[in-house]
Amino acid sequence: MIAKTFLKETKELLREGRVRIAVIIVLMLLGVAVWISTRHYQNVNAQYAMAKTAERVIWDNQGEKNPHSAAHYGTYAFKPKYPLALLDQGVDKFAGTSIFLEAHNRNEAQFSAAADQTALARFGDLTPDFILLFILPLLIILLGYNSFTKEREMGTLTLLQSQGISSWKLLLGKWTAVFLPIFLITTALFLIAGLLLGNLKDFGVFNWSSLVMMYLVYIGYYIIFINIVLLISSKTKKSGISLVISLCVWIIACLAAPKAASNIAENKHPYPSRQEFAANILKDKKQGLDGHNPWSKEAKLLEQKVLQEYGVDSLHQLPFNFDGYRMQKSEEHEAEVYLKHYNYLKDQYTQQAKVYRGLAAISPYLPTRFLSMAIANTDYATHWDFADAAEDYRVATQKFLNDNFAMNSQYGDWAYQADASFWKELPAFEYDPPELKETLKSNGSNLMVMGVWLLGSFGLLLFTTKNI
Amino acid sequence: MLSYNFKYELKQLLRARWIQLLSVVLLVLFGFSAFNGIQKVEKRKLDIAAAQEEVKENDAMMLKLLDSVERGLEVSVPRWTIPSSPMAVGNYHPRVAAMEPQPMAFIATGQADLFTHYVKPTVYGDDFSLNFTEMTSPVQLLFGSFDLAFVVVFLLPLLIIAFSYNVLSSEKESGSLRLLAAQPIGIQNWVLQKLGLRFFWLAVLVIIALTLVFLVLGINPFTQARVYFGLLGLVLTYMLFWFALAFLVNLWVGSSAKNAVALLGLWVVFVLLVPSVLNQFGNTLYPMPSRTLMINEMRSLKAEVTERQDEILDNYLRDHPEFALNDTTQQRGFWHRYMASQKLIKEELSPVVNGYEEQLQRQQDWIGRFKWISPAIIAQESLNQIAGTATKDYEGFRKQVVNFSGTWREHFMPFLYNNQDFSQADYDALPRFTYQKETALQFGGLGILLVVSLVLFATGIFGYKKLSGAGILDQA
Repeated sequence: MIAKTFLKETKELLREGRVRIAVIIVLMLLGVAVWISTRHYQNVNAQYAMAKTAERVIWDNQGEKNPHSAAHYGTYAFKPKYPLALLDQGVDKFAGTSIFLEAHNRNEAQFSAAADQTALARFGDLTPDFILLFILPLLIILLGYNSFTKEREMGTLTLLQSQGISSWKLLLGKWTAVFLPIFLITTALFLIAGLLLGNLKDFGVFNWSSLVMMYLVYIGYYIIFINIVLLISSKTKKSGISLVISLCVWIIACLAAPKAASNIAENKHPYPSRQEFAANILKDKKQGLDGHNPWSKEAKLLEQKVLQEYGVDSLHQLPFNFDGYRMQKSEEHEAEVYLKHYNYLKDQYTQQAKVYRGLAAISPYLPTRFLSMAIANTDYATHWDFADAAEDYRVATQKFLNDNFAMNSQYGDWAYQADASFWKELPAFEYDPPELKETLKSNGSNLMVMGVWLLGSFGLLLFTTKNI
Repeated sequence: MLSYNFKYELKQLLRARWIQLLSVVLLVLFGFSAFNGIQKVEKRKLDIAAAQEEVKENDAMMLKLLDSVERGLEVSVPRWTIPSSPMAVGNYHPRVAAMEPQPMAFIATGQADLFTHYVKPTVYGDDFSLNFTEMTSPVQLLFGSFDLAFVVVFLLPLLIIAFSYNVLSSEKESGSLRLLAAQPIGIQNWVLQKLGLRFFWLAVLVIIALTLVFLVLGINPFTQARVYFGLLGLVLTYMLFWFALAFLVNLWVGSSAKNAVALLGLWVVFVLLVPSVLNQFGNTLYPMPSRTLMINEMRSLKAEVTERQDEILDNYLRDHPEFALNDTTQQRGFWHRYMASQKLIKEELSPVVNGYEEQLQRQQDWIGRFKWISPAIIAQESLNQIAGTATKDYEGFRKQVVNFSGTWREHFMPFLYNNQDFSQADYDALPRFTYQKETALQFGGLGILLVVSLVLFATGIFGYKKLSGAGILDQA
């Protein structure tokens, strides 16, 4: 009986013109989106590779220079793109792509793509994630809104009941009929994406397990939507009403809730403005050692401490250049200040994330969005991770340069210049994004929310359709 | 017939509780979104005020220090921050270049969450180091803001669709169409009247709800009468467009469900697809030059310039003989060389910088040429413009700040190259920044929308009979 219902429903869907048209449109859009994303991806990666090597050449060929001048001269860390960004661009467009690494300052990632685009970019891009997250649920609504209502409207429900079909069998048949086309489209997309990613060169490390995980997340998302749409269809009398209600659910889940969440999160846990943030850091920095100011109170204290430690009575007798040593100490103090303030930002974001999770109760879109971005390594957490790695590298670089300065010159010898070959000894900046396992672990709560949605929607659907 | 229709339609709407429901929904949506907008604007105002306050305090301190220095007293601040040095003033006492919100800023967030509203340009560094993006969580930027513009552009059309998708089809489905066919009125006129009345009532509700929300939130719309009526006009015209679509779909499509699907399809196309496709095309046709490669270029140039610093300074002084005349000491230090090189870097990089602005302008023009394809784009752009948060506004702000930062630098050049101290007397002459909104309010988009809607209505009225050869009852 399940198979028969399924066959009948599928035939009906196939024969219906608007379903055919809709499926064709979705497939076309997906094709265009994948093509655009692939091009974009290759472009960005080529630029990344070029910029990275060029920057290293600039750094290596500084010539003879004081190490601290080189520290001010600085270098750049560029953010790479990861394979699954092909499917989900996540927040990449809104996060900066390059960080300037210099002495004394931790800089924000600069040059987000969105800042270089018109306001139209805020409507969204034609990327696979847009279609996966917004358009496919709409297709589900189109496929399923009249699943039950048409039987009511045409009076065939009574006929069905007289056949002695149990309602769960009817439900399962109809459910499978809606699920199958969605399943096929999604599977095809992920297969194509996998093959594309496997064959494209220079695509970074691509592994199938992340792709499969992402695929499962989307399948789960669609199952939730199918459950909701069928539930609405089984509870309403007219197809039109069922469609309008399903649509309201879609709008609330996919458009309204995320926006409202972002407003509530910002109101409750605001970020400081860029200038305010910088001013706070400056204030804290002033409280401590400034490497360029040997006359400050903190510098004098450090001087005394070091003299005592080495049992000498003048800075000239120290086995290293005290200027370099002080620079390093001040660098450490500044790094601490930055750590404190960035941790504050992170705390604010953690609080904001709680708001997003809270509103996931009315929107299965939210956990899906976060999970998908996280698996694709295009989420905010990965961006933080990258920025932190760049900061660690910056701190290490400063130590590398200050140590050279301290060990190879005399106190007061600011004319000291390191060899032209010295710069090559600095290890290059390498960054690896979090592994799938870690990502899933840190997104446990999102996985849980999705699980609750899945079970809850199934339970509700089975429970309420006992007698149609 | 119109008066009958009017009477029965109102009764029907009231009995079906449509009017009541819509009032509540509109009040809640407008209220929540306007409240969100106002909170954002408040934060923006507070941030700017705090920054101004800080500058004021710093200035008082600076004047005190200058006073001490001028009286020959010892001061307890690091040597290079003593404000008698003009470069210290230029670096440690920058002015706030702020973009104050427009009176209607709360109706559309636009680009306001992406860009910062004040910067403090210093003499050190270049225009590249001015970061104009705001510190916002990218997740927030991704999701966007629940502002009034979102309600108008995205949600209002859906309310209209829900309100009008089955005007004709429900008559067919309930069998009352035959009764109607006996009345002395053409079917398209009847649908037009019915939809016209629904438009009328929705318009009344929208106007009342908006005005109420404004008043409750403490904004008097009538102090900004021109802008306010412009806003109302825009919203109503945008609504008219959706009613025009509903009119056509009602006439030509068929059953209620089919109508709803068709209207929703149109909504997806106009509100979601066309904007993203246009944006994609704009980016593909006029791609932004790579920022990462720009960094490389800038770095090489700087490296080269640093090596030639002395030569550059000589050239600079040769171009400015007045400095050689006024200054007898002829002392030249770090800052003399630095400022001269910076000037050169700025000149050499300006084609690169302008490249970005020009490309953005080309993208903007491209969208301008095709925006009539989607009324949602017109509505969103016009709302951003009214709010003063459009791309153009931030572009204008950027340009003004860059200009100001040039003025700020130039202001200290005579001090620097004449080796002249900065004194208390020079304080009042420090340049100040005031933001000037460059784009005048234009309601050109409104005209396009109106024409498009009227054309759609006319198509329905005059084209209906010709296309559907059979009578309306044959289809039923």
